[in-house]
Order: sequence, then structure tokens, then C-alpha cells
Amino acid sequence: MPRQFPHLMSALGLCLTLGAAPLAATPAPRFDKAVLVQQQRQEAARMGQAQIHLQALRTQLGLGDKEAFVPRNAFTNPEGMTVVRLEQTFEGHRVWGGQAVAHVDGQGGVQALTQSVRTGIALSGAPLITADFAKAIAVAHLAPKGVMKVAPVVEQVVFPAEFVGGLATQVDPVTGRRVLDRRNSILARPNAPYVWAYEVRTRVDNAQDGTKALTYLIDGNTGKILRINDLIQHLDVPAPAQGSGKGFYQGSVATLNTSLMLDGTYTLWDQTRGTQPNPYLAYFSADAPTGWNPALPGNQVWYKGSDTSGASTGMEYLFQGNTTNVWGDGLPFTQWGDSGGTNGQSAGVDAASAISTTWDFYGSVFGRNGLDGQGTSVVAMVLDPTMQPWFNGLDNAHWDVQNHTATFGAGSFPGNPKGFQSMADLDVVAHELAHGLTSPNPYQALVAQPGYEEGGIAEALSDFFSQMVKTWALRDATAPTDQIPATTLPWEIGRNVGHGTPIRYLNKPSQDGWSYDAWFQGIRRLDPHHSSGPINRALYFLSQGASSTPGTVNYSACLPQGMKGVGNDIAARIVYKAVTEYFIGDGTGAWTFEDLRAACIAAAEHLPYPYELGRVFDADAVRNAFAAANIGDGAGKPATTRVLFTPWRDGDYIQISHPFADYSNRQVLPTNETVMPRVTVINNANTAVTWSLGGPTTFDTNNTPTAIAGGVINADGSWTTPNQIGWASITATSKADPNQFAEGIAWLANLDTDMDLENDALDMAPIAISWYLSDTLNYSSSVIAAPWVDDLDVSFFVDALRSTWPVK
Amino acid sequence: MRMLSYLFSTLVLAVALACGGGSNPAPTATAPSTPASGLTYTDPTGTGWRLVKDASSTPTRVVLNLVGPAGLKTRGAGFNLKADATVRFGTFMDPSVPPISTGWPIKDTGVFELRNTDPRDPFTGDPVPLDPQDPILLSGAVKKGNLLTVGIFQKDRRATAKDSAQPLCQIAIEFDASAKLNAKDTIALSIVKAKYVPEDLGAFNGGVTTWEMLAKGHPVDMTIAVGSLHAN
Ligand SMILES: [Zn+2]
Repeated sequence: MPRQFPHLMSALGLCLTLGAAPLAATPAPRFDKAVLVQQQRQEAARMGQAQIHLQALRTQLGLGDKEAFVPRNAFTNPEGMTVVRLEQTFEGHRVWGGQAVAHVDGQGGVQALTQSVRTGIALSGAPLITADFAKAIAVAHLAPKGVMKVAPVVEQVVFPAEFVGGLATQVDPVTGRRVLDRRNSILARPNAPYVWAYEVRTRVDNAQDGTKALTYLIDGNTGKILRINDLIQHLDVPAPAQGSGKGFYQGSVATLNTSLMLDGTYTLWDQTRGTQPNPYLAYFSADAPTGWNPALPGNQVWYKGSDTSGASTGMEYLFQGNTTNVWGDGLPFTQWGDSGGTNGQSAGVDAASAISTTWDFYGSVFGRNGLDGQGTSVVAMVLDPTMQPWFNGLDNAHWDVQNHTATFGAGSFPGNPKGFQSMADLDVVAHELAHGLTSPNPYQALVAQPGYEEGGIAEALSDFFSQMVKTWALRDATAPTDQIPATTLPWEIGRNVGHGTPIRYLNKPSQDGWSYDAWFQGIRRLDPHHSSGPINRALYFLSQGASSTPGTVNYSACLPQGMKGVGNDIAARIVYKAVTEYFIGDGTGAWTFEDLRAACIAAAEHLPYPYELGRVFDADAVRNAFAAANIGDGAGKPATTRVLFTPWRDGDYIQISHPFADYSNRQVLPTNETVMPRVTVINNANTAVTWSLGGPTTFDTNNTPTAIAGGVINADGSWTTPNQIGWASITATSKADPNQFAEGIAWLANLDTDMDLENDALDMAPIAISWYLSDTLNYSSSVIAAPWVDDLDVSFFVDALRSTWPVK
Repeated sequence: MRMLSYLFSTLVLAVALACGGGSNPAPTATAPSTPASGLTYTDPTGTGWRLVKDASSTPTRVVLNLVGPAGLKTRGAGFNLKADATVRFGTFMDPSVPPISTGWPIKDTGVFELRNTDPRDPFTGDPVPLDPQDPILLSGAVKKGNLLTVGIFQKDRRATAKDSAQPLCQIAIEFDASAKLNAKDTIALSIVKAKYVPEDLGAFNGGVTTWEMLAKGHPVDMTIAVGSLHAN
């Protein structure tokens, strides 16, 4: 269900009742810095008003005395409206995923968005295990190889059972197949809708472990791990094609904001941008001779240390010790072992310039102080040499929401002809920094793992704002700085980094060979940089419009009549307002493409002066743009045909019917058995579907199969599963509307443990005999062909038997 | 193989034709049949493995206990039972066994220890409280052809084997009004396959090749006596 936001309807009603156009009578200043500063001074008071308002709403929301709302953060928009995010608490403990958002205006009026408020919490007493025990469980699982410079932080929370994690998979380094990741798979079933839990926030940052920021949720009664969240948002990219290019993206930069240090040297430290210190720098000590101090604000550019062979030294340094305040040589990076030298400084200049441009874009166009609106300073780390089997930092970039830092790889090109050049180009920098805009606070981000539509949304929003930053940066000298020009640059990301071949195409994302242009149920399983396709395309259509000529790059079969775009400036204002005031992630991964659509409609309907006359047109443009990417229905159009897999059963040990996690639509089924997939077609009298084996997510970006496309589709619509253990996928396509399809995925387990060629309850006997033996007894006893048998086999077996022959 | 089956079916056809060729007399007048409204189960005789009626049975729902021979200790049992399509296998709701929404066609009578007897944290090795939702080897299904398959097994070898001469688990057979059975109609029941897990699973006494388990750790075939089921 998409979230519902306050609609234009009510606002119109108000105007009619008053018989006047109040907005026109007292035009709010478009953007007046002095007024904004004044409004911002009232933020603390407005946070208090929001809290009082929410506390008073408790009964109406179905909450009791034990519940409360605690303001967590706030920002004030240029119209003077303060948006306050409040956390829900129960007996003083944060309710995981429970929050409210309040809009407080200058007159003290408060409007509350309470979609994420959690009701029905019935907990008493205290957790059975201690916080320290929970911490030990998390650290034991994390198993850091190097030193943990930062101690884990533990917080007792109320955890909704519906957010229990699920199955994780990984690529087997030997066979290249995708296999079950037993260590990171969650097999816990809290015994109540809400349980006491400990949130353990861990962080490792060293040469042995690389950078990991894993948040664990530990059941307060059983000590079981309920969920693991990865807070690092990776810019994961496919292996690019060959090309050529220059290494110095920005060319000559006339003005570079640096600092003159007490010892007379200069550093890449921009004290003109950023009003609060960067949190990561707190791990470093002040340096008296130069006067560098971690408590001082200002954006900084650092580099990661390497030796002459290009191996990581595990060290990080501010670009420093420069006596001339002239930086870089504009050449591609080659000087391993001297990343802070003149050659390495070129990447630093790129990053410094790009961060300033991005920072100024949000300040000039939206009146925002930095990415988080609080002025928290950004630290960029360039020339990352890390090359791990599981993470290619060289050709990558990522945003770290806890640290408010962005890391950019040195690039492996041209040594690796398929690699990238330095990752510090403006559009990559702007992409990463936009993650700071869309993360609501330092310990929550839009969930960025595959398996969540929210992941695709986070990546698409970063791509969209990157496009806007680039467009704004290239405005004419005489153009106003508070608007985004209508210029149409190519809508793409990473052409320079990819030495001529973009990493992603926003206008027609499928041009990259991986992304999809339109939504389908199951798209969430794609890598978020490819599930982002429909959102990228919708936002492109919103700005630039869609063609009605089939075959053109900006034509969509989902909106054959085409549409007129609202232009860059208004599109950006709609999306900005949507993501800062309506689409505020709650850390659960629950937000969907439809939710973003609803948020953009709400934002369009609330655009301030001087845009309010276009509200109706703009909101319809949002509807049409999203419909063109198969998200929601077009303006005034009948409901679109949808193909949807329905949960086959419920109450399983392995929680497959989780509403939005990775394994929604996923079933556990037997190999070599005839099963009856269940799919529904809605909004169409013709509910017939065509079945096919496999689907869009059958291969990942490394061409590794993520699922088996096997078995036989029978004439009656049943599916005889293949004789192969692992994920298998099937696709159902509407016969009435072939644009509409859904991909369902099942984990196939070999139930026939006694090898009598029949799947029956007697096959539980070998599982019982082999359960938790410390060594291999009989491979066939493990339904997932693991070398031992444990509760995972028990769960898989019971769930698969039941899904195949449901109890009626 | 193919030839044999062809000949066999021809033979059947010939017999059928012979019957059809003669004059087919009207059914002889018998006492008018009474529509049935319930089921009657008569326990089998003998002291081996058997399905015996439980006192909780009702006129329309026969609850059967699986009982084994005295003196035999086991760690679990399972069987496949085929019934005429004129009856339905019933289910049991047990709030302690997931999934709680629809239940299972088998009921745990509490004899077997189904859960982990000594739960420990997989990473630290420290004892932890038992997960109330600890997955257990209790499940069942009704497959095509009204074939019930059920099983109940102790997964933890540290739990002792249990005496079989007591109700080890229950199944249920329900009267189906839509089947239009008449009183005294017989409903065929037959055990197709049945196994139990023995007390002696063998010990770990060395490497894989010397495990006694390789010889002893197998389910054992058994015969289950089934009583007679009639409509009434
Ligand atoms: Zn990203």
C-alpha cells in the first residue's frame, strides 16, 4: 500500500471557504536568507511544539502512556516551514522503525504524518539478556580481523517482528555460483509482534577488514540475531567497456577554498562551507603545530595511503603540507606511494571543487545548509587503493552515513582497460553526496541492499540530484543562481569516469544492458543501481517529458500518448520537497516506488510561491511520469493491469511473506516436484498469464546466475521444478497486457533425503538422525546440500512440504 | 515392458466386453440404503504397530493414535496412509507449533522431545534460552490421491528414545457429507509406507569411516496395522 499524504484537495477546500487566495495575499518570500535564519532560530521551539502535538495525538493513534515521541532532528524550508522528525519510544526506549514527521508552520500550526507510528506494543519487564551480552553476540558475528577503533554502541529498543531479516546469499569464490550465506542468514522467529531487542551499532575501519558499518538487532530474550543492516551505501558499478580519457576532470580551477595552517602550509580544508564538524574526524587527534583540530567545521579532502605497489597502508591523510597553495598537475594518477604529492593532489582538486559545487547547489537553490541541513561538514577520501575480493574500492565510491564521509577510488584504468578512471568526477561526487541528503540521520539511511525498492530509490535520487548539480554548475554566467537552468545535458552518470561510456543512462536506463525501464513486481531483487531504472526514468520524464513516437529513446509503451515535462527547476523542487518533507526513510527498507510517487504528488500539490499556480499541472505530470515508468496510474487514467505473486502460505519458519524484504515473493519448494504457483492479475477482466522460466533478475551484473531458470511449465500452469538446489525463478506475464509481468522466486530444497524418489514426511527421519552432527554424515540428509544438518534444514523441509501441499 | 502392458490392458477390455454383452439385470431389491451421517472405526487386533481410536473422537471425526509394540524404544515415526476419496483427513490446531494459522494433519501427543535439548549460541558456544519457535520435525501433508503423509521425529540425539507402547502422535479422519456415503459403506484405508527411527543410532567412535552410525543410523521399515472404517 502506498503511503497517503495530505492532498491538494483539502488545501483547495480551505481557500474556497475563506473566499480568498491567502497565498497570493501574503506571498511568502521565495528565498530570503535573513528570514530563513530567523525561522531557523525557532527550530528548537518548534521541535517542542511538534512533540506536544504528537503526545496529544497518542490516544487517537492508539498509543498509551508508555509511548512517547522524542524529536530527533529538524530543518526549516525556505517557506519557513519546519519539518521535525520524531522518534516513537516505549517506556523510554526507541521503537525500531517507529517515527512521526511533523510540519510546523510559523503560526504554530502542526500537521503530523504518522504512517510509521507502531501500535499494539505490549511489552513488560526487561530483556532477559544484558546489553553487554548482546554486544558480545554482535561482535562475535562481526568477527573483526583488525583493531576496532570505535567501540560498538548498544541501545535497547522495541523491535517489530515483521522486520526480522531473512536469507542472505553470496557468490561462492570457487564455483562462482550464488549460494546460501549461512552466516548472514537470519533464522529467528520472535514469539510476539514486538520484542525487546538491542541495537548494536558496530564499525570497523582498518586494512584487514576494510570499512564495515553493520548494525545488529539482537533479540533481548533469546540473544538471536534478528536483523543486520549495512549502513555503507556503495556505488556499485558493472565492469565498463574500454575507452580513453584524461585524468583531470575539472581542468583549471581558479578558486579552491583551502586553509593556511599555523606552520605556513596549506591544506585542502574549506572553512567557508560547513558549520558543524565532521563526526568521523573525532577519531583523530588535534595537531598543535598546524592547528588542525577535529572539532573545527569545514569540508575537507583526504586521501587513502598506499605503497609504491598500490597496496593500501591502511592510513588516511588530509591533503596537507603544501607550501605554494597550488595543487595538482592535472594528470591521471600514477604516483602510488605518494598519493599526497602533486600528482595525487589532482584527484583532491577534483573532489574539493565538486564538493563545493554540490554544497553550493543545495544552498543556492533550496536554501539548505549542507547535505543534512544542519551544516555538518563533509570529508572526502580520494585515491582509495583498496582491492578486496568482495569489494573493489579502486573503481568504486561510497557514502558513509554514520561518518558523513564519501570515499572515491583511485581507478584501475588504464592498467585495467575495463576499469574506471579516478572516481572523483563531479557527477559521481554529487551522486554520493546526495545520499547524505536522503539519509534522515547518522544511523539510518534509505536501505541500499538489493531486495528493497528503497535501495533503487536511494540510487535514483542520487543520480537525479547529480544530474541537477551538473546542469546547475554549467549555467550561464548571467543566469540566476537560485534556479536550475532548462539546459538539457545528456541524462547520464559517469561518462568521464568510464572514459567515454556512461555507467548509467537516466533517460532510458536499459541502455546499460542491466537496468529496467519499467517497474515489475520482483524488481527489488536487482542491484539497487539497476532497480533504480524506473525511478531514474520517471524523474527524467517529469523534467523533460515523454515522446509519443514509438521507437524514440524517450517513448514509453506505458504512456503511449507521451507527456510534457515540467522542466529541470520545477522537477528538482518537487523531488527535493518530496524527499525532505514527505519521503523520509525510517530505516526499515519499507518505502516503495509507489511511496515516492505519492510523496512527489504531495510535494507538487504543496509547491510554494511562485509555483503554486502550476500545482495541478505539476501533480498530474508526476502521475504521468511515474505511470510512464509503470509506477501507479496516469492522471485521469483507469487502474493499470498488474500481475502480482501472492504469498503461498504464512506462518513459515523462514519468513517468506515479509512484505518488503529481499525474500518477499520467495517460496521454499522441493526440487523435482510439481507445484502450483499462485499469481493474481488485477484491474483486468482477462486474468490469464503466460508462464516462463527465469526472469529479469536471473543474472547479476557480473553475469553470475542469481537464480536457476529451470524445470518445466506444464499446460495446466503448474511448474515441475528442476532437480537443482538453489534459487529458481519464474515469470508470469499478462496475456491481456504483455507490458505487465511479475517475477517470483523460490528456494528449491531437495526433500528426498531417503532417496526413495518420493517427497514425503518420512524424509524427516534422515534429518533427525543427522541433526547437528559435527561432520559430514550423509549429504543427502541436508535438504540444501550443506555438509551438515541443522535447524535450517528442519525449517526448509517443513516450509517446503507445506507450500507444496498446503493444509486446507 | 511396453508389450506386456499392452497385452494386459487388452485382456481387461475383453473381460469388460464379455460382461457388457450379456443381459444386465436390474439390481436386486435390497433394503433401502440409509444416508450415512458419521464414521465408525474398529481398532485392529494385535500388539505391534497399530492405529487405534482415541477417546476424543466424535461421530464425524475419528481421531487415531499411532501406538507401537511394548518394549520398543524409538526416536520418531512417520507413515503414509491412503484413504478413499469419500473421507477427508482432518487437522489439529496447536498454538505451540507454527504455523498456527491452519494447523497440521498430525498432532504431537507430547511423548517425543521435539526441541533442542541444549541450545547454544552458534558463535560464542554459550548456553542460551530455548527459542520458543525452535523449528521441529513435525509436519504432514495430504498429497494427490488422498494420501496422508505425516511424521514426528526427535531431532536432538541427546534426547532419550521413548517407549512406543503409548500414543505417539494422532491423525484425524473426517466424515464428508458431500461424498453421499450410505450407512455401512466401507472406506478403504491402507498404509503405503512406514518407518521409525531406532533407539541405537550408533556412536561417534572415530573418523567418518569408523562411525557406527554409518551402519546403524537409518530409519527402520515397519508395518502398521489399520482397523476398519465404515460409514454409519
Ligand atoms: Zn549510490
